This record gives sequence, C-alpha cells and structure tokens, in this order.
Amino acid sequence: MSLPESEFDYEARLAACARGEQSALRDLYVQEGPRLLGVAKRLVGDTALAEDIVHEAFIKIWNAAAQFDPARGSARGWMFSVTRHLALNQLRDQSRETPFNEEHDAEPDEDAFDVQGHSARIHRCLEQLDPQRRSCILHAYVDGYSHAQISQRLGTPLGTVKAWIKRSLNALRECMG
Amino acid sequence: MTTESAQERDELAGEYVLGTLSAEQRIEVQKRLPHEPDLRAAVDAWERRLLDLTDYAEAQQPSAFLWPRIERSVERLTPETSTTSWWNLLPLWRGLSAAGLAATLVLGSILLTQTPPKPNYLVVLVAPQDKAPGWVIQASNPREIQLIPLGVVEVPADKALEFWTKADGWQGPVSLGLVKPGQTLSVPLDKLPPLQPNQLFELTLEGANGSPIGKPTGPIQAIGRAVKVL
Repeated sequence: MSLPESEFDYEARLAACARGEQSALRDLYVQEGPRLLGVAKRLVGDTALAEDIVHEAFIKIWNAAAQFDPARGSARGWMFSVTRHLALNQLRDQSRETPFNEEHDAEPDEDAFDVQGHSARIHRCLEQLDPQRRSCILHAYVDGYSHAQISQRLGTPLGTVKAWIKRSLNALRECMG
Repeated sequence: MTTESAQERDELAGEYVLGTLSAEQRIEVQKRLPHEPDLRAAVDAWERRLLDLTDYAEAQQPSAFLWPRIERSVERLTPETSTTSWWNLLPLWRGLSAAGLAATLVLGSILLTQTPPKPNYLVVLVAPQDKAPGWVIQASNPREIQLIPLGVVEVPADKALEFWTKADGWQGPVSLGLVKPGQTLSVPLDKLPPLQPNQLFELTLEGANGSPIGKPTGPIQAIGRAVKVL
C-alpha cells in the first residue's frame, strides 16, 4: 500500500538507505515501485525489460543515497529521474533504435493524452501549447519517442518536429519559471 | 571547452530530460554532468519542471519476484561490516553523544546568559557520510540566525564553505554567504521569509568566491533541518 506523497518522508528513507538500512529501501519500493515500473514500462514497452530497469534503479538509489542532495530537488523526483534515465539510455542505445512496427502505427493518436483534470502547473502550461506541439512533448517524455519516431507518428517532417520541441521547451520554461 | 551559451545549455538540458537526445548526445551530457555545475543546475531544473508528466504512465504492480531480486543484489553489494547491529556502531554513538553535547552547550549557554530569549529553532548540521556534527544553528528570533562551529574544519586554500538554506516550497536553495572555518557567523534573514520547521540548511565546498551560479555545486560538508524548540 502506498501512502499519499505528502505523508511519506522520502528523504528520511533515503538517509536511512545511506546508513545501510535495507528496510528503508523496501519502504521506498512499496511506496513507488508500481509507479516507477509504470514509467519504465511506458518507455521501454516491455514488462520484463521494465523490471530489469527498476531493479537497476533501486540498486543505484541504494548506492547513491548518501550523495543525494535535497537542495537539488525532491527525493521522490530523484527516484523518477534515476529510473527514467536508465530506461532512456536503454532506448537510445543505437542497436535498439528501431522504427515503429505496425503495432505502434495502429494506435490512434487522438486524445492519447488527456491534459484535463490534472492540477499540476505543468499541465496548465501544456494546455497553452498547440495540441500537436503538446503531443511532441508528451510522446517524448512519457513514451520515450525519438525525434524520428514522433515525426513518423504525427506525419510531420523531422525538421518541423525538432523546431516544435525546441520552441515548446522554451514556452514551458517561460510558463513555469 | 565548450563555448555554448546559457540558452544552448538550457536547450540541451531540456532535451536531455525530455529524452530526445541521441545515444551519443546522452553519453556526452552524462560525462559532462559531474564536472559542470551550470549544466547540472539546468538539468535539475528541467527534472523538476517535467516530473509531474510521469503521472501519464499508469502504475503497474511489479511481479512477486522483483523485490527479492533487488534485495539479493543489494545484499551482495553491502559489505559485511554494515550488517553489524546499530547498537555496535561507534560513529552513531559518537555522533549522538556529540550532538547531545552540542545541544547541552547551546541550551546551557542560553540558561547562563539569560538575556536572549530561548532559540525558537535549533539545527544540528552533520556530515552526510558519518553523521558527525560539525555546526549548530540557533535562531532566537526568526529574522537572524547564528551559525556556531563545534570544531575546526580544514578547507583547501582555493576553496570556501558556502552556507545555504531552502524551505519546503521554495524554488531552490538561497545562499546565506561564505563561512570561515571556526568562525561564528550571524546571518540576518531579512531578505527571506521567516524560518520554518524542517527548513534545510547546508554547507557546501565551493570555489574561493562561492558558487558561480548562485546554487550549490560542490560536495555537501554538513547538512541539517530546523527543529522548533518548545
């Protein structure tokens, strides 16, 4: 059972990991394991591979707990960053960079992401973007699509996709500060 | 060295976090991160901005095998000594007794001098690795704090200690200035909101003139959180 984020002290658990307390790592796993696995699965597309990534992520969290600096961001955010970057490294590894198969192409893109009903600031900023540009950002961050894959998915030239992403990131930075 | 502008660096950081860089570009960024505080700060900012997008990925229950697998790997990595019971951990007791002594000294000195009101907040800053206490912070009014060293620390000649604070909900840490080893420092907080419980304080090792980017970049020397004194 995971607690609401506001009631779970991620930083105290990380500090306990740094002291060698394995029960704290287990607490973190119970709290965020399913969400981290969900994020990894969405990126790499395969459950077994996603479990490998979450396994690797928890080892990294355990080993680097003492170096975690709360001034640089939240402990929860750090766990997600560690997991995402392991998954992205895997995805971008050239030997695995493949164009979409038919299964991917068959999915409809309309309303793939519902920005309504999310309260966080990022969602309000996303709503201000043109829908296609918003799709670029979400397909990249959530699905791990490369520029080429987004271009293929949206049927938009590669150069346009690259420019949209660059401008959308600038707009998001302006909006979020 | 690179001659990229702040704008280019921010775009690189944004695409790194977004995930659209190629394998080569990702490796390049990951190689630069440990040495380039500006790039690291830009990446950290993008991680914070985009984190809530992880909500779009639906949570998935891991298989029953995943945790035992993690546990086995962690046990293999953990050296034998760390299986010692906490009861036998010398650094823990050293740290606790030094922290107790520090608190006694602070509270005792307040009793003796009597004039200042009791501190509303107390922070013990400990070393991140062995938890040895190095400084205490006392705040007898919420507009000014005193940083009191418990010993002398060695700082390399070309380095300086920089003092930082961050409360929950702040965008990032704020510098409270440079600290000389062994010096008691009074810091007015009039540019900041009042002290809060759990507010983070830390000392990092920076270049002689402090962090070039206004955010901590060097290793943490001591860290602690404010506790309200009843």
